[in-house]
Amino acid sequence: MTKSEGAPVAVGGRPGAGVAARPAAPARQAPTDLTLTFVDEAAVRGVAAAAGDPDWLLADRLAGLRGFEALPIESNPLYTPYVDLRNAHLSAVRPYPAGTSAGAGAGKAPLPEGAAAYAEFTEDRLTALVLSPEARDAGVVLETLASLGARNPALLRDLLDGGCTLPETDKLGQMTRALWTHGLFLHVPNGVRLERPIVLRWAMGAPNGALLSRTIISIGEDAEVSVVEEQLASTAGASAAGSSGESGGQAFFAGTTEIKLGAGSTLSFAGLQDFSTNQIAFQHRSAVVGRGSTLRWALAQLGCRVVRSRIDNTLEGDGSSVEQAEIVFGSIDQLFDLTSFTRHIGRDTTGNLLSKGALSDRSRAYLKGLITIDKPAHGTDSFLGEFAMLLSKQARSVAIPSLEIDQPDCRRVAHASAVGPIDPTQLFYLESRGLDPDEARKFIILGYLEPVVARVSLASAQDRLRDLLEAKWAASMGARPSAAPDAAAVA
Amino acid sequence: MATSPEIVSSEYKFGFHDEVEYLEETAAGLTRGTVEEISRFKNEPQWMLDFRLRAYEHYLSRPMPQWGGDLMQIDMSKIVYYRKPSQGEEKSWDDVPDKIKKTFERLGIPEAERKFLAGVGAQYDSEVVYHSVREELSKIGVVFMGTDQGLKEYPDLFRKYFATVVPPEDNKFAALNSAVWSGGSFVYVPKGVEVPLPLQAYFRINAENTGQFERTLIIVDEGAKVHYIEGCTAPIYTTDALHAAVVEVIALPHSKVRYTTIQNWSNDVYNLVTKRAHAHAHSTVEWIDANTGSKLTMKYPSIYLRGEGATAEVISVAVAGKGQHQDTGAKAIHLAPNTRSRIISKSISKDGGRTTYRGQLKVVPGATGVVSSVRCDALLLDEGSRSDTYPYIDIQEDDTTMTHEATVGKISQDQVFYLMSRGLTENEATNLVVQGFLEVFTKELPMEYAIEFNRLVKLEMEGSLG
Repeated sequence: MTKSEGAPVAVGGRPGAGVAARPAAPARQAPTDLTLTFVDEAAVRGVAAAAGDPDWLLADRLAGLRGFEALPIESNPLYTPYVDLRNAHLSAVRPYPAGTSAGAGAGKAPLPEGAAAYAEFTEDRLTALVLSPEARDAGVVLETLASLGARNPALLRDLLDGGCTLPETDKLGQMTRALWTHGLFLHVPNGVRLERPIVLRWAMGAPNGALLSRTIISIGEDAEVSVVEEQLASTAGASAAGSSGESGGQAFFAGTTEIKLGAGSTLSFAGLQDFSTNQIAFQHRSAVVGRGSTLRWALAQLGCRVVRSRIDNTLEGDGSSVEQAEIVFGSIDQLFDLTSFTRHIGRDTTGNLLSKGALSDRSRAYLKGLITIDKPAHGTDSFLGEFAMLLSKQARSVAIPSLEIDQPDCRRVAHASAVGPIDPTQLFYLESRGLDPDEARKFIILGYLEPVVARVSLASAQDRLRDLLEAKWAASMGARPSAAPDAAAVA
Repeated sequence: MATSPEIVSSEYKFGFHDEVEYLEETAAGLTRGTVEEISRFKNEPQWMLDFRLRAYEHYLSRPMPQWGGDLMQIDMSKIVYYRKPSQGEEKSWDDVPDKIKKTFERLGIPEAERKFLAGVGAQYDSEVVYHSVREELSKIGVVFMGTDQGLKEYPDLFRKYFATVVPPEDNKFAALNSAVWSGGSFVYVPKGVEVPLPLQAYFRINAENTGQFERTLIIVDEGAKVHYIEGCTAPIYTTDALHAAVVEVIALPHSKVRYTTIQNWSNDVYNLVTKRAHAHAHSTVEWIDANTGSKLTMKYPSIYLRGEGATAEVISVAVAGKGQHQDTGAKAIHLAPNTRSRIISKSISKDGGRTTYRGQLKVVPGATGVVSSVRCDALLLDEGSRSDTYPYIDIQEDDTTMTHEATVGKISQDQVFYLMSRGLTENEATNLVVQGFLEVFTKELPMEYAIEFNRLVKLEMEGSLG
């Protein structure tokens, strides 16, 4: 059951012509069924024509389409039992057309305080694209892929055609490769160190809208930079979710972040996802880490109905390292399906990966991770931790921290995982200091998630993340009576 | 340190095979007719034939698993699904045919029995050829016999529990086993009876291209206690043999079952086994599982904790040498409140061998107060060897305490250096470190088995230091 026909159940094309007066039941969706209806060759050719793509780019898109068509929704057999797209009802979404993104005032938008550069998309519009004078003087480039294509077609081809880091085996990544209409290019030249972060923001959520975008980041040798990426609900998204659930329809985001780190460079990337609950998001983040360079991910997942995220860290250079901290705070019936693949190739590489989930209501988190240590990777130090705190009877946590090791000469290879309720001794301690039980629980949860919050390099984004976590706590946990164990709710 | 002088080569010690004339044998390959023929040979009741045919149909409809080890090399059409070497079961050792007896003597079974065993069931290819339970055990009602005989002598008890733990639809190889099963052990321990000594069965594949599909059913009644041990060996052939067993254990309330396996098939055997236990209220089930032999083993002993307060423990070790893949692990499915599980897995890969830990831990909604811990450690001894760890942890109940840890590493050179400074050779030192690594397993074995197991490991380790 790889693919359903997606067609409604109307008999012989005559709706209502069935036997009895019973209304036709909606088509049953298997967990692996993807209800997207717009992915086909005509659409790909249409996107390429509208964007005025050169031949090589059309060929690249078609290769992506072939990958999409050939691949199963989950190509790693380890994880096939844990796919669930039943809450993604995407048959009505239509991608925003290419070439409409040239917002007029984008160049004049104000730079957020403390930022070195700023780009913002609102639905399909580019609503901000500004660089601080320091960044501009240092030679930092931040532009849309369309403008890069016009300015330097050879470089665009080099980035997309030659050095694409999207996983070949990922159906959804290949879909974005085939149909992307929007994109950003960030380049930090050799030796440039920016103290202030570069801010990238996506705001969307208008019902039935779909945005497919690629972000290409290239960090030069010995450069040092931080990026804050915010994925937030637009006003349309907030009101769609705010009205009555999803009556207005879902919105769809498929976005990539493709990173290359030159030798000796450092990138701190903070990602905050707080789309509204009518949103379905597929994220792909892939990074190739060069010799002696360091990549730090700090990722927070709060929003969306369904998130399917995949991170690929390729530690190619000797002495390269990745630190990845990801938190999830789930409520209602959200599903967070997060996978991270870390591949050690160079010598003396370091991986330190930590995922933490706090899950309330009927939310679910699938935390999947795979560390692969290739033969040449002598002296690897790799740790993968997946932890979850379940805050309600109906919440569910799945952790699959896996290892595949081909090189015995390692400094350390380990993974750990733990699931439990809030530690009663911690609660007791805080209550003994005068906090009421609700507040004590809140402090414990927020403290548990703090390691990621502390790593967000932009002060305003850090504050926003703290506020969001508190607000989410208040919405999902704060209202209920403090005597938590409601055993009666369980069959 | 006591080194055994007789161990000088790493040749497979049990790699002899005997020319035995088989009394009954099906043609190679599997058809509906084969299944009917097996059932006819055995003169089974109709329900069992129906069961076999239902399983056969399911087997056909089910695809080969795409995960785990490489199963593409097995030629299912060349396998002989049933062989019967002697007429029925013998009660006394003297009645066993000489040739077969010789084989078992080389395996040291009668000796072992004299020493400490409560009962011996030895399976030679498909039929149980020798079986005895000490008199005093029979007197207190302990049943220990071949599964075919169990079906004949205890039809009601048999039918009540058979295939309730592993239904034929569970997986492709469980379906295959259900269609063509033959032999295995049938054990029943009555209420409150504690079997003081381990029950033991030796399984052995002799003929080339033999599929062995034993089916073991162990029922331990309320408050009873038993320890069952199996060891497996097979001669070496150049073509591949298949072993697809199903083991079902039912631990009724307050009972305690320990099931120990030392699997040392020769390196051409595909060992695809489904082992599962149902643990009812306040019972304890322990799988103690070692895999050193076979070409490919796919085996994940499982415990379904169905009753409140049940306890599960799995200790498993795997050693993979040249050309071997040990894809093993454990499953604990917590279906009731206040259940506990502990899983410990140790694996060693060397000479290009591959070990895989694949485990599942699941806590369903309503199973409150569950405590579980999983620990996996792997040693990689050389370049070219591989180790994988794939744990699945699915928690659907907030009141759960679960921890999981895994490490992979090489032998500590500090430890080897220390031991060498005390006068051990490098080989001895390495051996000692490996034995220490596996000790959590070894110490759970009866002494004779522990010694034998340490020897096996030492054999496996021979020459692992270039």
